[in-house]
Amino acid sequence: MKTKITFYRNKLGITQEDLGNLVGVTRQTIISLEQGKYNPSLELASKITKALKRKYIEEVFKL
Amino acid sequence: MKKQNKIQSREVMKYSSSFVMIVLGLIFNFFEIGKNEFVGFSSVGSWLIYIGFLSIIIITIRVFRTKNKVVDERMIFIANKSMRLTFLALIVFAFGIMILDGIKTIVVPYHLFMAYLICGLMLVYFISYKILLRFY
Repeated sequence: MKTKITFYRNKLGITQEDLGNLVGVTRQTIISLEQGKYNPSLELASKITKALKRKYIEEVFKL
Repeated sequence: MKKQNKIQSREVMKYSSSFVMIVLGLIFNFFEIGKNEFVGFSSVGSWLIYIGFLSIIIITIRVFRTKNKVVDERMIFIANKSMRLTFLALIVFAFGIMILDGIKTIVVPYHLFMAYLICGLMLVYFISYKILLRFY
């Protein structure tokens, strides 16, 4: 799965650790998500979208 | 806050079950219930007291050591995957052991054999978990 987490994260100026703390996951999970290795659940995807101040999940995650 | 309360109530449950074990052990020992019934096993009460104290120590250590531990969905996903792998390994082990036993009878005592098997499975689980962490 392709993601735009890195792009929006850099735009907001937050680190992987900060984003992990915001959504309740570890930094390693954020790294995996950014690299497209791990496909998140709908719950986690929606939490990340909210943390990155986006409106739709499709803006951050793309199949 | 809600999660913290949930964790605290879980700890209270664990502590109370340990205390119940100790009290039960004392009662069993006082009334001499389950004494000299099993070979190489002192009494049920003494073992209950022992396990009760052991669990109190383990719970206390876990309370102080794992405060900020995060278990996220990726870890659960990998743990499930490695558990499936371990189960597969168990089937393969069992198959291999059956063949080996057919070729030459295994003379290892049963308790030792089970201890080796459990340790082997734990090792398979641990190694597969560590390897899978790199792939997901």
